[in-house]
Amino acid sequence: MADDALSETRKIVRQVLVIGALSVLLAAAVHFPLVKRFARGEFRENFLSQEDYPGIRLITIQEAEDLWAVGEAVVFDARLERPFREGHVPRARNLPATGSRQKIPPDILELQRERTLVVYCEGGDCQSSLALAKRLHDEGFTDIRVMTGGWEEWKKAGLPVEAGDAEK
Amino acid sequence: MLKNKTLLVVFRLVLGGLFVYAGVVKVLDPLDFAQNIRNYRLVGQSLSFIAAVVLPWLEILAGVALAAGIRKRASALFISGLLVFFILLTLVTIARGLDVDCGCFGALSRKSGFGVVLEDLVMLFMGLCLLFAPGRRD
Repeated sequence: MADDALSETRKIVRQVLVIGALSVLLAAAVHFPLVKRFARGEFRENFLSQEDYPGIRLITIQEAEDLWAVGEAVVFDARLERPFREGHVPRARNLPATGSRQKIPPDILELQRERTLVVYCEGGDCQSSLALAKRLHDEGFTDIRVMTGGWEEWKKAGLPVEAGDAEK
Repeated sequence: MLKNKTLLVVFRLVLGGLFVYAGVVKVLDPLDFAQNIRNYRLVGQSLSFIAAVVLPWLEILAGVALAAGIRKRASALFISGLLVFFILLTLVTIARGLDVDCGCFGALSRKSGFGVVLEDLVMLFMGLCLLFAPGRRD
């Protein structure tokens, strides 16, 4: 009886391993082009595929400041409302990234699709700015810049800040 | 131990189907799923990529096997194991106060929270019923 249970367990474990091994093989075969790009060093900083999102670029704080200073770019803060109220890039609009189904306010959708948009989030390895950038890209915007370093770096660089309610 | 055969078949089809669906939507957009994994801030960039490429196939194969009734017990064990992992992951994420998409069903995903834990628990119940169901051991 105990032998039966043991051999049954062994059999199940073997089958589980087979499912695992088959999955690895299928993954490697189906995603071969992607795996090749990964092996070449792509996607080590972010998972943004320039093929899929040609309109999104990552920029530094300095580049973002230049764009902001000229005043032609629309700046979006992808953080939640509370940290936004505590401080943000002056004239930035708060648009917390809430995933791929996020609704973009109608007045933003009325903007010219060629308009330069700058998006940022907390900083460090925050990802919400990239999520928002993709969402805006899906709406047809063609010039979206993601400010790497985010709010933390902007503040650290001693650049102008503004506090208060969100201009929604 | 659940013995109602009809109910067990329903469990197999529902649970297997859900896993196949979850896997397929992730296979269609592996980079998006890789980002979801990265957002949990538990593993680095490379591991997120590898997991995003392999995990959906685990879900599909185990789901197909369960729904089709092939290697029922092994696939039920596999799926139950994945669900236990998802539940722990979601609980850790809630405890860390992270605001992330669960990444469970591609574009139909929602925020990682207790709702997700509850859904996973219901699925785990089905998985365990199938794992310990009486009958021919294949």
